[in-house]
Amino acid sequence: MATVTAPATGSPVEHEIFTDDEHLIGGKQNLVTIGEKIGNVCLGEVPTPKGWWIMFLTGFTLLQALVIGLCWLFYLGTGVWGLNSPVFWGVAIVNFVWWIGIGHAGTLISAILLLMHQKWRTSLNRFAESMTLFAVMCAGIFPLIHMGRPWLAYWLFPFPNNIAMWPQFRSPLCWDAFAVSTYFSVSLLFWFIGLIPDFAYLRDHAKSKIQQVVYGMLAMGWRGSAMHWRRYEKLYLLLAGLGTPLVFSVHTIVSFDFAVSIVPLWHATIFPPFFVAGAIFAGFAMVIWLAIPIRHWYGMKDLITEKHLDVCAKIMLGTGLLVSYGYFSEVWMAFYGHSVYEWDTTLQRMFGPYGWSYWLLILTNTIIPQLIWFKKFRTNELLLFLVAGSVHIGMWFERYVIIVTLTRDHVPSSWGRYAPTIWDYAVMFGSMGLFLTLFALFMRFLPMLSITEMRELLPRAAGGRDGHAVMENAK
Amino acid sequence: MALDFDPNAESNGAGGIPDDQFQSLEQVFGSPEFERMMKDEFPEDAAEWLDPVTRRRFLTLSGASVALAAAAGCNPSLKPASQKKIIPYVKKPEAIVPGVPLFFPTALTLGGVAVGVLVKTVEGRPIKVEGNPAHPGSLGSTDVLAQATMLSVYDPERSKGITEKGQPSTWDKVQTALKAVVDSQVSKKGAGLRILSEPAGSKTTFAGLMADLKAKLPEMKWIQYEAVGTENVLAGVREAYGKYLTPIFDFKKADTLVSIDADFLTNGIAGIRYTRDAMSRRKVRVHADSRRADGVSLEKLSRIYAVESNVTSMGGVADHRLPLKPSEIESFVRELAKAVGVQNVPAAGPLSERAKEWVAVVAEDLKDEKKTGVVTIGNAYSVVAHNLVHAINDKIGAVTKGAVSFVEPVGAELAGKNADAAANGTGSLAELTAEMNAGKVDTLIILNCNPVFTAPADLKFGAALQKVPNSIHLGLYLDETSALTTWHINGTHELETWGDAQAYDGTATVQQPLLNLYGSHSALEVLVALADKPSSAESIVQDTWRKFHAAQKIAVDFDLFWHKSVERGVIEGTEAKAVEIKAGDVKLSDTTQKSPAPATKASDIELVFRPDPTIYDGRFANNGWLQELPKPISLVCWDNPALVSPATAERLKCEVSYAWTAGEHGQSHVDKIEITIEDRKARVPVWVVPGLADDVIVLHFGLGREIVGEVGKGVGFNVYPLRSTKALWTVGGIKPEPGSAERTQEKYTLASTQGQHAMEGRRPARHGTKEQAAKELKSEHGHMVMAVHGKDAFSFADNPPASAAEKDLMRALLPGTPKEREWMADEHHPQKFFAKGFKNNIHTHEEEGEEGGDHHAHDKRLLPLTLIQDHEHNKLYRRWGMAIDLGACIGCNACAIACVAENNIPVLGKTEVTRGRIMHWIRIDRYFSVPEEHGGTQRMDAKERAEVIAKSTAEVKLHFQPVPCQQCEKAPCELVCPVAATVHSADGLNDMVYNRCVGTRYCANNCPYKVRRFNFVQYANYDKESTLQLVNNPEVTMRTRGVMEKCTYCVQRIRAAEIEAEREHDNPARRKVQTPMGVRPLIEEGEIKTACQAACPSNAISFGDLNQDQYVPVAKDAKGEWKPTGRRLPFSEVARWKLEPSNYGLLAELNTMPRTSYLAAIKNPNPKLLADAGKGGHG
Repeated sequence: MATVTAPATGSPVEHEIFTDDEHLIGGKQNLVTIGEKIGNVCLGEVPTPKGWWIMFLTGFTLLQALVIGLCWLFYLGTGVWGLNSPVFWGVAIVNFVWWIGIGHAGTLISAILLLMHQKWRTSLNRFAESMTLFAVMCAGIFPLIHMGRPWLAYWLFPFPNNIAMWPQFRSPLCWDAFAVSTYFSVSLLFWFIGLIPDFAYLRDHAKSKIQQVVYGMLAMGWRGSAMHWRRYEKLYLLLAGLGTPLVFSVHTIVSFDFAVSIVPLWHATIFPPFFVAGAIFAGFAMVIWLAIPIRHWYGMKDLITEKHLDVCAKIMLGTGLLVSYGYFSEVWMAFYGHSVYEWDTTLQRMFGPYGWSYWLLILTNTIIPQLIWFKKFRTNELLLFLVAGSVHIGMWFERYVIIVTLTRDHVPSSWGRYAPTIWDYAVMFGSMGLFLTLFALFMRFLPMLSITEMRELLPRAAGGRDGHAVMENAK
Repeated sequence: MALDFDPNAESNGAGGIPDDQFQSLEQVFGSPEFERMMKDEFPEDAAEWLDPVTRRRFLTLSGASVALAAAAGCNPSLKPASQKKIIPYVKKPEAIVPGVPLFFPTALTLGGVAVGVLVKTVEGRPIKVEGNPAHPGSLGSTDVLAQATMLSVYDPERSKGITEKGQPSTWDKVQTALKAVVDSQVSKKGAGLRILSEPAGSKTTFAGLMADLKAKLPEMKWIQYEAVGTENVLAGVREAYGKYLTPIFDFKKADTLVSIDADFLTNGIAGIRYTRDAMSRRKVRVHADSRRADGVSLEKLSRIYAVESNVTSMGGVADHRLPLKPSEIESFVRELAKAVGVQNVPAAGPLSERAKEWVAVVAEDLKDEKKTGVVTIGNAYSVVAHNLVHAINDKIGAVTKGAVSFVEPVGAELAGKNADAAANGTGSLAELTAEMNAGKVDTLIILNCNPVFTAPADLKFGAALQKVPNSIHLGLYLDETSALTTWHINGTHELETWGDAQAYDGTATVQQPLLNLYGSHSALEVLVALADKPSSAESIVQDTWRKFHAAQKIAVDFDLFWHKSVERGVIEGTEAKAVEIKAGDVKLSDTTQKSPAPATKASDIELVFRPDPTIYDGRFANNGWLQELPKPISLVCWDNPALVSPATAERLKCEVSYAWTAGEHGQSHVDKIEITIEDRKARVPVWVVPGLADDVIVLHFGLGREIVGEVGKGVGFNVYPLRSTKALWTVGGIKPEPGSAERTQEKYTLASTQGQHAMEGRRPARHGTKEQAAKELKSEHGHMVMAVHGKDAFSFADNPPASAAEKDLMRALLPGTPKEREWMADEHHPQKFFAKGFKNNIHTHEEEGEEGGDHHAHDKRLLPLTLIQDHEHNKLYRRWGMAIDLGACIGCNACAIACVAENNIPVLGKTEVTRGRIMHWIRIDRYFSVPEEHGGTQRMDAKERAEVIAKSTAEVKLHFQPVPCQQCEKAPCELVCPVAATVHSADGLNDMVYNRCVGTRYCANNCPYKVRRFNFVQYANYDKESTLQLVNNPEVTMRTRGVMEKCTYCVQRIRAAEIEAEREHDNPARRKVQTPMGVRPLIEEGEIKTACQAACPSNAISFGDLNQDQYVPVAKDAKGEWKPTGRRLPFSEVARWKLEPSNYGLLAELNTMPRTSYLAAIKNPNPKLLADAGKGGHG
């Protein structure tokens, strides 16, 4: 049984034409067109675009680098990386924070924007959530593999044992373990719950036995009864509520990895809000990066409209300004705090051996995103894509700049330098490969956009419910 | 469970028996079915393994292989203990208790001069060298080379057998050959026999046997050659006093010490002892406790001037240092002699204005009647200079005041007719080479030296050696020499043989063998074989001292005398006889008076040769500990770059740049230069050292060995080819141009552990001057106290201005300081426990014994991190602390290598070091400062600093700072560890739990001192076949890959002492004290010494219990109850150090409360030299 009964083909469709004041859905859409537009990709009705193959093969190739990189790493130890004294954390942690940051937009879109009655989220939430999951998977690799003895990673979790040994609860890394695992579980649950009605659609429209069985199992017996809908909506709302604090908590706690330490310029109270803003900034850049190919390859321009790109760009601009304020605040506090270590480290950060990375960060994260003030940069896909790319680079370098702060801390005798090795890069680009592979497979086999919610978004006249059923119509 | 064999199978027994019955057990047991059953305990399961592939097997196998791949499956050490063999003693050897180490006194020699040591052995396996407190050359301390010798003993690449022309041979054949040599030489009176060895002591068995041999073969010659020769020293004395004498310095007496390139550690014959004496005058104690002399009062602080071309440890601790070219130093000595009033001083060469100013100021200081001055000069300087220095010492009264005395020569043969040949080792070697070339040498026996590598290049010793028909080499390794000799005998290490050796003052020590790993033979055995004596080395050594015993008419019988001598490590009454020298006995010889003025050409560069600070003349090339030890000052390891000043580097167009990987903390890219002297060339990388004399290239010889083990192969560069008999120590006239000293296009990667030279305005290594200190002090009731009320620190030792607002609090929180003690007694202290009965500060401690109440201070801040309340009596009451006196630290690195030996610290190799990884738990930070930085307090632009240094390296000051784990009470590392792998112990140690560590490395990031070390890959050697395993300390865990490690305050030593003390609770010999935890046995002061503390030649490290002064000694009265027997115990040494106003905590402003604290160096600059130079600053 389908979620929404499609009008029989051929019969006159009275509610075919409607106007979308909010420009969230383009073209002439109805329940059927939306279902087919999204569902047919999964069911293999749409020829696989060339772009998809490029994405998948690139990702899969890079994934091999990850496998090889990990094998070598586990065989020899973290010494294969460029880590040294004083830089005991390298690009592994940069990548961890970078990926975790990217993940944030998904939860923000699906949970917070839902609660905030932002209808435009509907076109983005499914693939943004997938992005979150895959990004957190990529992120999750790094803290694990960067350990000296990764096979003992479970010691970070409290588990009953005969020596009554708990983790050390004062350590941010311990909080990290909780925060990231909670975040991942809730995101996964949220994502899967949202998918269930769509799975049912795919099951019902399956073109082959295999599709029917697989999607059927995933649909977990969804029949679209009122009771199902009721429970679904309740649960969805609950998870949105649960997910909302996680958007803030995870990156706040990740920022504690730095802020709780006494390393100059790490030890700063600005870090939690600064990191959260940076995460959303990076996340929306990634949403833009993923939305544009989806629009193109799968002709989703009607479902992901210019309006969406415009909104994403504006959020990116806003959070980008917050992040830039963070940069300013760091420098100001170091100056005003009058601590020799803070201020010297700031000068080192700006004009020391790694000064180039600081200025690159300012360029890519603060200056280039200012172009978004121009409407052209918000609506022109190519330009927006480039600006979002700049943010990706910038956000990576933001964490890199934080990490290389370790090169020059309190005692000058220990000052050193740090450069990643080929094995650092293997794992770094390999994780990107993992992300691309997973996302490509997602695009092909799972509904990229939520069929259910997109249908709900249709005006009542078009058979929809004029917004989120969970929010707008739950009164 | 059903047995899994086929009941229908045919039985193997007699026929006719039904299958379900059997006659005997044997019948069943013999059946193949039964055997199969026995093989497979669980036959049903086992059968699965034989199936092609089952689901179960697949899962098992894949599970196992995943586990193997993910865990360190390839790591043999993970084998369960049950699979390793543990075999008990059947008959327990005498005196060996498993787990209890024994210490054997013996001696280690270098250049024929001994340092007495105690060798720690566990279950018959020597593992660590400590100094012998009874030995005058050691006084309990050791140096870098002595500490590292342990690794050489177990070097798996040592020579393990005897060879004749490269073929394996036996000791019997050697003996036969040696006998044949003597037999054939008897007729020629030994004219064709030559023995080449290192110098030996006059009273040693070696010298005695040599004398015997010479009596038999009078024409035989014994050549004593040493690359780091002391010819000029000996000749200088002869010129001055007409005969060979050994000068003995007493630096304890020296108020003014002028060191003319006389670095004790690389130059001296008594480096350890001299360092101790000289530095005892550099440890300023305002609260100097008269009963226990930790140091000297401010007035007694000595003043050290260093004139040198290299930058040495001596220059580093000096109050003033003047970098000069070697030729200028020769002139400087002449001018100085003239200035102090020596007559007939030969003419000096040109000297800079600054140097002339120095001459005047130094001479004035030396002539000061009220002070004892002494001048020392390095063995690299000419006989003339040595002669002049003796004249200066005579003139300024150093001899009459006892700062210099002379004894009968300690070296062998220096008294007899061979004296000149014996004194002039290089000359004798040259003569030997000439004879070898002339075919006059039939047999050459080379004992424990490697002349093919170390001989001056112009001798071409290797070529000459090939002309000798019969040559015998005995040595620890197969080396450049053994490759060219007919015979090679695997020599013993000094810890493997009986022998004897003399200290710098003649004091003899019997060397005992502690093991003999490879059945090696000693030099003594070769001499015994030559002399054809049937006795063993032991009895020969005993004979030597039996004769001595008889000659000295010693009252006790010989056996007791021998036993006591061996046991003490010192033979009584062997110190060389003092020679009466009166003022004015000294003379300037004719040659001295007539010697031409040293030629100095302003534009010329001069080469300076010095032995490598860690590899010495090359003999330690295969010692990984020494190779990886950063050389003092340059902090380069695994190499011997040419050292130049920044200005000279510019002249040579050479640069140092730092790599992106590791950079300043590991990897530097430098230029190589090619130095040509006549037709001899050497290509060496260049390393820039601020403060080095301009136009000087310092070359350390000893590296670049070719025939050596894997460790030393290809390490460094051989600069011996540049050294010739004419110019052993310096070569002048070098120009920065092709054919002389030219930069090549080659780049080279150096491993240096500190490229950052400046303190950047942060003052980690603090220092002040005597004047500054005096200004802040006043005398009150016979005590020196701070002049400003409420202030307890010298301003130069205080926290930096950045944290000025909180500095009182920070000082209060520094464990062991007066403020902390007041705070602990304060009523507002969160732990009311302290409020009662705690009245304790430095001014009242004399009287406080009267109030030995029940409640005493105990640091309750250090409650263990557990929710389970501990029983009061289970808690520890001791507070371990350490203080390091920067005034006395000479940056020699002995502490670092002692720590390596004690704590099983692995050697990583150059590649890892260039990746910024090094494992030493204690490092010596070395900073340079220029006056414009005001001793490091001001931040200076790097470019500007470089310009200042390039303009005048003379003004560059050095600062040393040993940095072990600071054992913070509020340790930043502990807070951030997610698995509680680094935690605090109740007695205040910051413990590292290796097997709990998962390797997140957060602790190391958060350690502001960067003293944590990480096993990035598997560094520890688990190779069970390697003899290197034997050197490991069984009390210290070997760290596996992926775990953090760091200094533990030698926790194994602390715990061992605690166990010992608690075990002796009922032993009346062990003192008992009343503590907050009840009556406990006392660990006496000095009972625990950390490895670094024990090794430190200048006693700059103190370690002990900060709470000792809280204990009241008790004894049982008649009723069997504990009653106080006296006042509280005195402050422990470390507590006394921490009460000093110069005490400060490194980065204490971060509120880490470091248990290790530093005493700011107090310098004693001459105001005249400062004023004249127009340079202020903090000295």
